[in-house]
Amino acid sequence: MMRKRFLFSLASVLLLSTLLLAGCNSGKSTEGSGKVTLTFGTSQSGIPRTGIMQTMAKEYEQETGVKIDFQVVPDAQWRDLIKVKLASGEAPDIFNVDVDPLSMPANVRPEENAIDLTNEEFTGRMSEEILPTVSHNDKVYGVSFAPTKIWYVYYNKRIFQELGIEPPTSYAEFKAISQKIKDKDIIPFYQAPASGWYQVLPLFETGPNYEQTTAGTYEKLNNNEMKVADMTQLKTVIEQLKEFADLGYFGKDFLSNTVEAGIEAFGQEKAAMLLRVPGTEKEVSEAYPEMEDNMGFFVMPWGDNQTIGVNPGGSAAMFGNKNSKHPEEVLKFFRWITEHDHLQRVFDEGEGNLTICWPEIEPKLTQDYIDYEKNHEKGTVMQAAVKYIDPQWMDIGKDLSGMFAGAMTPDQILQNIDKRRAEQAKVLKDEKWQ
Amino acid sequence: MNANKIYPWYFSSGAIVLYLLFIVAPALLGIYYSFTDWNSYSSEKNFIGLEHFRTILAGDPTYLLFIKNTVLFTLVTSIAKTVLGLFLALLLVSGVKAANLHRMIIFSPQVLSFLIVGLVFKSLLDPNNGFVNVTLRSMGLDVLAQNWLGSLTWAMPSIMAVDTWKGMGYIMVLFIAGLLAIPRDYYEAASIDGAGFGQKLFRITIPMLMPTITIATVLNITYGLRVFDAVYVLTNGGPGNATDVINTAVYSSFAKGYWGLGSALSTILFVIMAVISFFIIRLMNRKVEY
Repeated sequence: MMRKRFLFSLASVLLLSTLLLAGCNSGKSTEGSGKVTLTFGTSQSGIPRTGIMQTMAKEYEQETGVKIDFQVVPDAQWRDLIKVKLASGEAPDIFNVDVDPLSMPANVRPEENAIDLTNEEFTGRMSEEILPTVSHNDKVYGVSFAPTKIWYVYYNKRIFQELGIEPPTSYAEFKAISQKIKDKDIIPFYQAPASGWYQVLPLFETGPNYEQTTAGTYEKLNNNEMKVADMTQLKTVIEQLKEFADLGYFGKDFLSNTVEAGIEAFGQEKAAMLLRVPGTEKEVSEAYPEMEDNMGFFVMPWGDNQTIGVNPGGSAAMFGNKNSKHPEEVLKFFRWITEHDHLQRVFDEGEGNLTICWPEIEPKLTQDYIDYEKNHEKGTVMQAAVKYIDPQWMDIGKDLSGMFAGAMTPDQILQNIDKRRAEQAKVLKDEKWQ
Repeated sequence: MNANKIYPWYFSSGAIVLYLLFIVAPALLGIYYSFTDWNSYSSEKNFIGLEHFRTILAGDPTYLLFIKNTVLFTLVTSIAKTVLGLFLALLLVSGVKAANLHRMIIFSPQVLSFLIVGLVFKSLLDPNNGFVNVTLRSMGLDVLAQNWLGSLTWAMPSIMAVDTWKGMGYIMVLFIAGLLAIPRDYYEAASIDGAGFGQKLFRITIPMLMPTITIATVLNITYGLRVFDAVYVLTNGGPGNATDVINTAVYSSFAKGYWGLGSALSTILFVIMAVISFFIIRLMNRKVEY
C-alpha cells in the first residue's frame, strides 16, 4: 500500500514537472489577446541601421495586427548564436543570416530550418546575382535587399589636396601618402579590430588580384590542391597590414577601434581614409555636412591590387523559420515588405546603399562610380568563391588582432586558416579533404 | 520496507526527480556527446572515442594555452581576493569610522552583472579617451598610460584586476563574519601576555579564520576555473587568443557548431574542478584545533 502511494506520488511529481515545462514554453510568440507576434532575429549590421525596417514593421502592425518583435544582437555574436538557436529549435520566426552560396547551406541547413519561398511571386523579382546565395538544391529560401557589395577606400579630398597627394595605385604609393598624412598628425587609415571582422577585408576582398596573377587559385583551393599558406600574395597583404600597424598608419592604440566609430573619425577629419561601401558619402555627409563633396574613393591597394572585388551576396538575407508557429504570417510579411512601394522605401530610407538586389528599383550610383567601374577590372572576392573562408571570418579577425599586438606571425595566420578549413571540411565530410 | 525508511524518499522524491532531470541527465549527456562528432552541420552523431580529447590535450597548443590561462587567472585572482578581502575585513572590524557604509560600498560591485562592470571598465580603460589614461596623462605620467585591454602584456592583468575588484567585497564579508565570531578573550589574554599585532594576527586571527579561508578559497577557485563573462566582455579572448580561457573556448566551439568538441572541453573542465574540489573538501573535513 505504502509502495503504491509512493509510486503514485512520484508519478504525480513527474506529471507536474512536465506540465510546468510545457507551460513555460507556451505562448512564445502570441499574446494573451490572441494577437500574433513574429520574432525577428538579426545582427546589428544585418538590418538597415537607420531603423526603416522597424518603422515599417510598426505600420505593418497597424495595418494587419501582426506585431514584429525585433531582437538585434551584436554582429560578432549573431553569426554564432543563430546556429545554436536553429539547432535547439529556439530560432526566431524570421532570422537574418549573412549569406554566400558556399556557406549558406551549411549555416542555415535550409531544408530543415527555412520556409521554401520558391513559388512566391517576389522571388522572381530578385536579381539573378543574389538568387544563388539564397538558394539550395534549386529552391529559394531567403529574401535579401543587399546590394552587390564592393569595398572601396574612401579618402578626404581636402586633406589630400592640402598635402598634394593623389589616390595611390600601388602599395608603395599607399605607404608614401600615409606617411605624409601621419606627419600632419592625422591618422592615415582608420582600422577597427575591436569589431572583429573589419581588419579581415583586405585579405579576401583583394582575391581577384590573386586569381588574375595566378590563374586557377580559387579552383585549386576548393579542390584542396593547394593551401592558403602557399599564397605568397596573401602573405604579402598580411605583412603589409602589419607594416601599416607598426608604422602607426592605423593610429596609436587602434586595437580598441570599432567600425561604428569610423564615420565619426572620418567625418571629423581625424582619419584621412576609411574602408567602406558605396553610399558612405551619404552617411558621412548627413552626420557631417561640411564633408559633402569632400570624399573620393579608390580600390584598396594592398598587394598592389587594382581590381575591384565584387561580392554578389555578401550581406544579410531574411529567412522564415520552417518550425515557426506562424509560417503563413511570416510569408504574408515577406509578401508585404517586397511589394514595389515598400522595397522603394527600404531603399530610399535605408542605410544609404546606392543599389539594391531588386532590378525594379532604380539604382542611385553616381557617374563617379560608373566611370570608376568602367576603368577597372572586376572579379569575385575570395570568400564568395573559395570554400571555408567566410565561416572562419571572425577567427581570422582575432588572429590579425593578435598579429597587430605581436602575438602571431603572418605565417601562423595562414597556417591557422588552413587548419580551420581542414576542420570544417572534415565536419562536412568534404570528399576533397578525405 | 518500513515507513521510517520510505518517508525520507517520499518527501524528497520531487527534488530528486528535478535533480536527475536538470543536473544529472544533462551532465551525463554532455559527457556522452564529448565522445561523438556531433555538430551543427549534420543531424548524425557518430561515436569517435577519445579523438576530441587527443586534439585538446596532445594535438593543439592553443588549447593548452587556454588551460594555462584558466589556471593562471584562478591562482592570481584567488590569492588577490583572499588577501585583499582579509585586509579590508581587518580594517573594517578595527573600529574605522562609518564601517557599515564602507562595507556596503566595497560589497556593491558584487551585486552588479559583469556585463555592466565590463562595459564600464572598457570605457575607463580605453587607451585614448579612458579615465585611467586621461588621468595618468594629466598628471604627467604618460609613460604609465597603456593599451590596457589591447596589449599582450596588460590584457590579462587588467581582467584579473577588474575581477578582483568585483569579487573581493564578497570575500571581505565572509571574513568579517569569521572575525566577529572569534572570542575577544583570546586577544585580551594575548595583550596581557604582551603579544603585538603580528603575533595576534598569525597566532590567533589566521588560525581561527582557517575554516573561512578554506571556504573563500573553494569559492574563489571554483569561480576562477569557471570564468567566462569577465574575459568575454572585456577582451573577447584577445588580442589574438592571449586572454582566452577554457570557457571562452567552450563558447567558441559551441558557437561554431562543433558541439562534440565543446562538450569535450566542458568535460575536461569538469574533471579539473572535480579533482580540485575533492582535495579541498578533504582539507575542509580536517579538524581544526585551537
